[in-house]
Amino acid sequence: MMLSRAARPALKAVAPLRTFATLREIEDRLKSIRNIEKITNTMKIVASTKLTRAQRAMHESRKYGQTSNTVFEQAETKPLEGDDKKTLIVVASSDKGLCGGIHSGLTKRVRKMLIEKPNADIVILGEKCKAQLSRSSAKNIQLSFAGIGKDIPTFADAQAIADQISLLPSDYGSIQIVYNKFINATSYEATPIEAFSEEAIVNSPNFAAFEIDDEVLSNLREYALSNALFWALAEGHACEQSARRNAMDNASKNAGDMITKYQILFNRTRQAVITGELVEIITGAAASEE
Amino acid sequence: MTFAWKASGLTYNKYLSVAARVVRRSLKDDKRLAAERRGEMELRFAKWNNGKQGDNKSVADANAASMAEASTQSS
Repeated sequence: MMLSRAARPALKAVAPLRTFATLREIEDRLKSIRNIEKITNTMKIVASTKLTRAQRAMHESRKYGQTSNTVFEQAETKPLEGDDKKTLIVVASSDKGLCGGIHSGLTKRVRKMLIEKPNADIVILGEKCKAQLSRSSAKNIQLSFAGIGKDIPTFADAQAIADQISLLPSDYGSIQIVYNKFINATSYEATPIEAFSEEAIVNSPNFAAFEIDDEVLSNLREYALSNALFWALAEGHACEQSARRNAMDNASKNAGDMITKYQILFNRTRQAVITGELVEIITGAAASEE
Repeated sequence: MTFAWKASGLTYNKYLSVAARVVRRSLKDDKRLAAERRGEMELRFAKWNNGKQGDNKSVADANAASMAEASTQSS
């Protein structure tokens, strides 16, 4: 736009239609930016309403997940050490974009983990991380889930995922669930939570205190896995909503800035066109007077 | 002690979800609608093999199929 403004004085004499066109162009541009601002603003409002619900769900599920983890804390369960056991990484992202860098944050974290353990398997929840990780490490992917993140994740979701994971053929020494930890409304951190394998539970130092039968142990493990998944999904969902709110807030602000800039440019150009026309009329009148 | 549901090939999570569904369905109407919304699940999943994505399948369908399979095996 700056170029056309600078070039205008030369063009005006040749083709007055061109200046009209740039004016039109600016107007169209302004209109489309206004529309975008409206859209981002609406998305922001939607995200803020969803955010309050998501945060409530997050607090509840966090309490729930932590309670479930208390057992392992008391038993002092530790992940099994040793290279012969495979690691499974579960990535809790979602299907929807337009929410800043939270998905790529997860992806980066997973890639970092893959450098340490190049033969780890990956299970991906959500389309966004699937697209990113399938480019870099498609070979590691075992399962991918879609249809997550439309609404607040339910425990039924987590159960179904845990079920499919436990049906996987390999026996995993440790399962790491990578999710976005909600620190405050503007910062998140991709964090892994550990879901232990049966062996790890049996080998934990204080395990005997719980007097769990061997037969129900696999139930406990499956249940703990779906608890952990539920926690990760709910917290990831809250992070996503809050990130979307921030992203849309910024987008609306930027659109507002651009609108004022283009409004000034539009007014100036219009003024210049009017001045130019006046000059032409006056010179014409002065010339025909003589 | 082995559990009947385990013998018929269900996993603990499936057992839980069936039990939860029964409880939800036996609630009174007004509470039931709200509760059933918590039990909804519309996931789709795909198995990956050697870096290639397989078919997208609905998790609910796959679960129903494996349950049906398990029940034919046990009976």
